[in-house]
Amino acid sequence: MSLAPSERAPATGAATTTATGTPAGRGTHRHPGSARRGRRRLLTPESVPYLLIMPAVLGFAIFKAYPIAASFWISLTTGNGDDRQFSGLANYRRLLDDPLFWTALKNTALILVVQVPLMLGLALLVALALNSTKVWLRPLWRLGVFVPSLTGLVAAGVMFSVILNRDAGLLNWVLSLFGVDRVNWLGSPVWARVGVVLVITWHYTGYNAVMYLAGLQGVPKELYEAAMVDGAGPVRRFFSITLPQLRPILLLTVVLSTIGTLQLFDEPYVLTGGGPDNATLTVTMYLYNNGFKYFDFGYASALAYALALIVSLLGILQVRLMGERR
Amino acid sequence: MSHHLSRRHLLQLATASAAGLGLTACGGSGSGGSGGGGGADGDSGKITVWSWTTAAEALRGVVPSFERDNPGITVDVQDLGNPAIWDKITVGLASGGKGLADVLHIGVDYLPGYMEKFPQGLADLSELGADQHKDAFVEGLWPTVIGKDKAVHALPWEVNPLGLFYRHDYFEKADVDPASLTSWDDLIAAGPKIRAATGAQLLGLDKPGTVQDMDFFQNLMQLQGAFYFDAEGRVTLASDEAVQALTVIKRLNDAGLLADTAGQGTWKRLVGQGKLATAPYPAWAIEYLSDKFPAQSGKWRVMQPPAAVPGGGRSAIVNSTFLSVSATSKRRKAAWRFIEYALTKPAEINRMFASGGVFPALKAAYTDPKFSAPDPFYGGQKVLKSFVDSLTAGAGATNFTGDYSRALKLASDAQSQVLIKGADPAEALKAAAKQLAQQTGRQQAA
Repeated sequence: MSLAPSERAPATGAATTTATGTPAGRGTHRHPGSARRGRRRLLTPESVPYLLIMPAVLGFAIFKAYPIAASFWISLTTGNGDDRQFSGLANYRRLLDDPLFWTALKNTALILVVQVPLMLGLALLVALALNSTKVWLRPLWRLGVFVPSLTGLVAAGVMFSVILNRDAGLLNWVLSLFGVDRVNWLGSPVWARVGVVLVITWHYTGYNAVMYLAGLQGVPKELYEAAMVDGAGPVRRFFSITLPQLRPILLLTVVLSTIGTLQLFDEPYVLTGGGPDNATLTVTMYLYNNGFKYFDFGYASALAYALALIVSLLGILQVRLMGERR
Repeated sequence: MSHHLSRRHLLQLATASAAGLGLTACGGSGSGGSGGGGGADGDSGKITVWSWTTAAEALRGVVPSFERDNPGITVDVQDLGNPAIWDKITVGLASGGKGLADVLHIGVDYLPGYMEKFPQGLADLSELGADQHKDAFVEGLWPTVIGKDKAVHALPWEVNPLGLFYRHDYFEKADVDPASLTSWDDLIAAGPKIRAATGAQLLGLDKPGTVQDMDFFQNLMQLQGAFYFDAEGRVTLASDEAVQALTVIKRLNDAGLLADTAGQGTWKRLVGQGKLATAPYPAWAIEYLSDKFPAQSGKWRVMQPPAAVPGGGRSAIVNSTFLSVSATSKRRKAAWRFIEYALTKPAEINRMFASGGVFPALKAAYTDPKFSAPDPFYGGQKVLKSFVDSLTAGAGATNFTGDYSRALKLASDAQSQVLIKGADPAEALKAAAKQLAQQTGRQQAA
């Protein structure tokens, strides 16, 4: 990119600036008291990127960093409204003795262990199918698979609460055609969990499949050709070429899905309200209840930090386990 | 890397931008209303009101006469929807009152919590003269509006006395005399007869607790003069009264008289299909039933709710709603004038009742002829009168406290454990009460 002389001029002045950023001997180069010159210096090719990222940095500082720090402070306090007293780690100790927190964590972990592998496996199968040249009308199928992830989370929850209704739901009607008894999808602890898993899987499989599809299309065809020349069958090609080549994307989807599942809120909130008997209560839902229903902001903040810690540890663990075997 | 934009420059720029943002933020702050008014206790200008659905519609009906009688004040009633309104008010109060409307419509399930957790959040209406209306409202509501500072923070608007709506035609078909049903024991005994004759179950309940609808359990406690907390705020969730309430529910369930109404619109559908013989609901259901099920006109009647224990009390106030003024309102006086106008004038309150079905808490409103008029939907029964009679019979004040939501959740869990897993009511409630005490730091009543 070429620069106008006026823009280039200050750049040459850079040589006179010391390593500490002190404008050594600057006074000899510019008119004393020239404000106009000073302003011009602010807009240099080097400064423009900083100016451009400034709104984002400020936005982050005001709307993210400050709330994060404030939330940590609140997690160390108890009290109402502005009247907060420092209570040290009391909220965190309370967390350890709270059966509902452990129930919520257990539910979340259960959904994580069951749903994430199921969904990612399904997404991989879908991606493989969509990548096949034998599939007719591929763009249409791809669109169809991706569309559920465009649905609003609450809308998906409401839709499934109608589909899963025991007496008038679509799913039980379909099952009845095959002579299957009505399932109390949202009224029994086990089936309610299955219901939540169903909704999330429906919602996010296509999203992950599209990521895998992108990864599959990046695998060099020569690898497959070479393998075929060597006599490798489709299964061997899948395990020896496709999977290793997809590893970075697999890692990405596993980490994103783990974080997403740990923050699960909307679907079970709309679908079951956390019930029955807390079978689908998630950590974020419990956090929300404590903050916005019980007005216990100190405890809710402690929950948020506990969750953040768990998410970070799991993320690091996954990257270590999957990322370094390259 | 450039050295031209020194760290000092960066800091200067950041400070300037932050100041700019701050100024912008200040410019946009203030109460939800806009327009004139001036000072903190502005007596004129535009005030905003937050309410929901039919209640908001009813409030809008008051606006023309209020604006005519109070030149200089204009009112904007906003329907935020329920439950969205609670998040909005909570967030506003938690952030020091920023962005709140001048007038807030608040339910009894939230009001004590707001007063307790945000003691500076709702305006002191005693200063504006609210105490003079103390005896104007039905018994049992005034203690709810008093904060820890002994000041009044809301005026009662709606009160919901409990009744038992029942399908008169089903009772006749099953040869059950409603007058003979004085306790839930009697209903549990009559239930199988009704079911055999009509195929209908006695009542519906959200068994897994998807929406935490604990009204029936609470009603059974309120009929015994009890609740989750006693007057001192101690936890009474494991009291004999609570165990009795949950035992009645368990017996109804065990006898196959309880339909599961979990899920969107299930209760409505079951009533529409004629599969429920009774509905232990408060006064708002008078209009709701006639509005939603016009085809069932003439088939319903209302009776006093049966007692939770044989020989026990038969009146209860299920819930109530209130109007408050936010403490940060720039037009508190104007907001108070609107509240006082809407809630203490019988003509206005009855106008709202007519348009929104909000049963008034103002005693003077009951002298209106419509409260003794026969209702064709209920076969010519004077339904409103039966509810007024129930209110004048007197119902104790219910101490919802600031921890009601937590209590509700734990009670709902206990009920689900009993109905879904067959847990013992006493054991489930004992565990719930223990947890409630632990989580709130409250004592358990002996």
